[in-house]
Amino acid sequence: MLTTIEKIIFIVLAITAAGFTFHGFKTIIDSIRKGRPAPELKNIPASLLNAGVKVLFQQTIFKARKVLSAIHMGLFFGLITYAIVNLMDVLEGLVPGFDLVYGGKHIPNAPTGLVNAFNLIADVMSMFLLIAITVFLVRRFIVKDKALTYRDNVLLNPKVKAGGQARDSLTVGVFVIMHVVAHVLSQAYRLTEGADPFMPFASFLNSIFGVSETGVHVAWWVSIGWVMFIVPYLSRSKHTHFFMSPINLGLAKQNPRGQLDTPAKVDPGAKFLHDLSWKRVLDSYACVQCNRCQDVCPANFYGRPLSPSALEVNKRYLLKEATFGSHPDRLLVPLTESVISPEAVWSCTTCYACVRVCPVGNEPMADIVDIRRRMLIDGYEIDSGVQNALQSLATNGNWMSKGKRLRGRWAKEMEFPVKNATEEPVEHLWFVGDTASFDERVIPNTKMVARLFNQGGLDFGIMYQNESNSGNDVRRVGEEGLFEQLVEQNMAAFGKAQFKQIVTTDPHSFNTLKNEYPQFGGTFEVKHYTVTLLKLIEEGKLTIKNKLSNYKVTFHDPCYLGRYNGGFTAPRKLLELLGVEFHEMPRNCENSFCCGAGGGQIWMGKVAPGERPAENRIKEALTTFGEGSNAKTQLFIVTCPKDMIMYSDAVKTTGNEGKIEVRDIIQLVAEAVGIEEPIHAPVAA
Amino acid sequence: MNIVVAIKHIPSIADDLPVKGNNVDFDSVDFVLNEWDEHSIEQAVLIKESVGGTVTVIGVDLIGELDNALHLALAKGADKVVKITADDPAADSHMQAKWLSEAIKGMGANMVFAGVQASNDLDGQIGPMIAAYLDMPYIGGVSSVEANGDSATVNKEFAGGAGAKYAVSMPFVAGVQSAPKPPRYAPVSKVRQMAQSATVEKVAPSGDADVRERPLRILKMAPPVVTGHAEMIEGSSKEVAAKIVELLKSKGLA
Repeated sequence: MLTTIEKIIFIVLAITAAGFTFHGFKTIIDSIRKGRPAPELKNIPASLLNAGVKVLFQQTIFKARKVLSAIHMGLFFGLITYAIVNLMDVLEGLVPGFDLVYGGKHIPNAPTGLVNAFNLIADVMSMFLLIAITVFLVRRFIVKDKALTYRDNVLLNPKVKAGGQARDSLTVGVFVIMHVVAHVLSQAYRLTEGADPFMPFASFLNSIFGVSETGVHVAWWVSIGWVMFIVPYLSRSKHTHFFMSPINLGLAKQNPRGQLDTPAKVDPGAKFLHDLSWKRVLDSYACVQCNRCQDVCPANFYGRPLSPSALEVNKRYLLKEATFGSHPDRLLVPLTESVISPEAVWSCTTCYACVRVCPVGNEPMADIVDIRRRMLIDGYEIDSGVQNALQSLATNGNWMSKGKRLRGRWAKEMEFPVKNATEEPVEHLWFVGDTASFDERVIPNTKMVARLFNQGGLDFGIMYQNESNSGNDVRRVGEEGLFEQLVEQNMAAFGKAQFKQIVTTDPHSFNTLKNEYPQFGGTFEVKHYTVTLLKLIEEGKLTIKNKLSNYKVTFHDPCYLGRYNGGFTAPRKLLELLGVEFHEMPRNCENSFCCGAGGGQIWMGKVAPGERPAENRIKEALTTFGEGSNAKTQLFIVTCPKDMIMYSDAVKTTGNEGKIEVRDIIQLVAEAVGIEEPIHAPVAA
Repeated sequence: MNIVVAIKHIPSIADDLPVKGNNVDFDSVDFVLNEWDEHSIEQAVLIKESVGGTVTVIGVDLIGELDNALHLALAKGADKVVKITADDPAADSHMQAKWLSEAIKGMGANMVFAGVQASNDLDGQIGPMIAAYLDMPYIGGVSSVEANGDSATVNKEFAGGAGAKYAVSMPFVAGVQSAPKPPRYAPVSKVRQMAQSATVEKVAPSGDADVRERPLRILKMAPPVVTGHAEMIEGSSKEVAAKIVELLKSKGLA
């Protein structure tokens, strides 16, 4: 179809475009390789294939925004189809007589059915693409969806602030529209014999614009010529997403969610971009700033200057300016000045919601922990509350500045002896945790757990003063050295004890004991107390005497039990057995909303203004219960000592006392089993 | 600028203090660094960071566990650490002040800092006594020190929120109440690194004879005895009022 001169121009353009594209991706790959080593990945071909399947069915985007995800799916299939369409267009341009209209009847021995099918798919997909891209453009530029913007207090690269991403979106959006319309037109102009039933859209355009040889040429050049410019451009824009996200998904985290990457031995943590592991660098190229992570981020909800997505886009702009631009020195600007503000770094609760929801397998939370690690080493002035907690953890093994010997005091007040697991063998070593051991508000629940274990005939013991904080949150604050010290102390204590499995009260302890202690040689069977209780009931060792049908309850999944470790069923099963009226909140299980205490937030001395995540959660629970009859007591059930504190407080601060009450699941189990707190004789005056 | 920081290792009061005989049961108590000493270390390091010099941290090793505190000081920016190997957990502030001053004498210090008090030295004796032994002026209640040449500008706090600025000529001893900034956090990895690489200089306690003859002796030590407790009066305001009147009457007050 093309003239010889056109063919020459096309080939020169194609070679140039290929060169620029090659250079683009080489630059990207080089900068990824400059990142630090990441944990070794196993069986990469299989996980790439697995990721390919996920991408093909667009599985990972449907975790949020179902409608937009469906449109994204249309866009994705459209673009995949267009990869083949473009190839055919090139063949039509270069190979004389290669013409697919009318089932390819001008091509000798053409498989007519197949060509017709292809024409139909291409034609329909063209319409899909136009609709999908229009929806996205309208969403961004006309409706101005807030989800695509950042809070004013979020640190943004100046180019992003000036609308760099919007320009990328507009460029690609306009390209897609022109490209698709031009392609369909190039087909329409060829329909010399009237409408082709397998090309309804092209036939429609043909009925308006008719047939034109010049039109075919012009439309072909608009459609394919543009590609020569857009493909090299993609590597330099957020649309590297097209290529890098399937790769990133294929190379995503393989170790358990609850296991942080071990920091480097020399200069641990990240000050500059290339102090991050290569996977964290790759993350930034895979991210297309859909902001799903920002939607689920409790810190962002709270008005703090944290946006996981802004972190990724800032990283990419920094890399772009340094590698494609003329500012290699930009990579020597500390991350806390170029990518994420110190306040944002310290407002992360490490709830994992951002990582969980990310369709392309990014881990912005891992960057944050790595940045914290280096800030601590470099002597950054951390929040005084966090510092006090860390200092107490280093000296006392707990964050509450309590003496070690006070840890087991609650157990000594029990009406039956609680075994010391470091002195006599037990079947279950109960790792109680700091809050449950020391906090006066939580100790009654701790004692209730002990009573139920005792009643159920469980052979258990605690480690008294030999237990230290498990270190889960210490590690997430970035204090790796202290974490290691605590692990060593606990491992020494475990070494003194004889036990078959560990049971924990605190989901945070549960997480690190289960997922991170194995890195230090501690491979134990670790259970959360909800699982142990359920087992005691199911085995008939605890009998439910009273059904609690007078309670209307909802359940909050703690991040470190649920999202991190999949412990969704045991608490729900327990509630079912107790006979309560159960209501599920909209944000449940994997999509649970953090209470705001994790990752060291509970230690913070300063409290930021604004509606706290826990307060929002209490409102969510009340909305779930609805306005209906108040004949039943409304309960907010928790299975984490920190939640007990966070939510009891939130009920008060939101003025909902009397409407909803926070209880640990253990209180309900005790009531159903018929165990009451023993009434001590009042002390004589 | 040559700054010496005298520190104290003291029984932790995070637990209830166990008593044995007429003293603390030192075998079942943890020893920790006095919290005011953390401020004097911070103040010393801040001066070093602004005008240069060396910071030497010195303390009496009462139970053979002072190294941790010294490694912590190194991790926070001290240059040299010294321990006086006394191995006597009952050594009081008098004895420690004597030993410390004997060891500090030859160090050519421009400034000597000590925590203004400690939980086992609430009357803040150790600083003034070191000053007396070294024949240097003492200034207590210090909230900031700035070195300029051979004198220093020192802020001292008084009760009721008042403060005063002093020009103090060197050498002098300061009892540090607080550093201008909260004491920095030393990451454990850094402390551990110090534990592996740094050397702790050991000095035998000297001037022993002067202080062994203690003019003060502890006759008896016991945890405080709870002698009474508050009685909560419950009920409606009328009932409570009636109860109060009744109580006052029974005591012959109404």
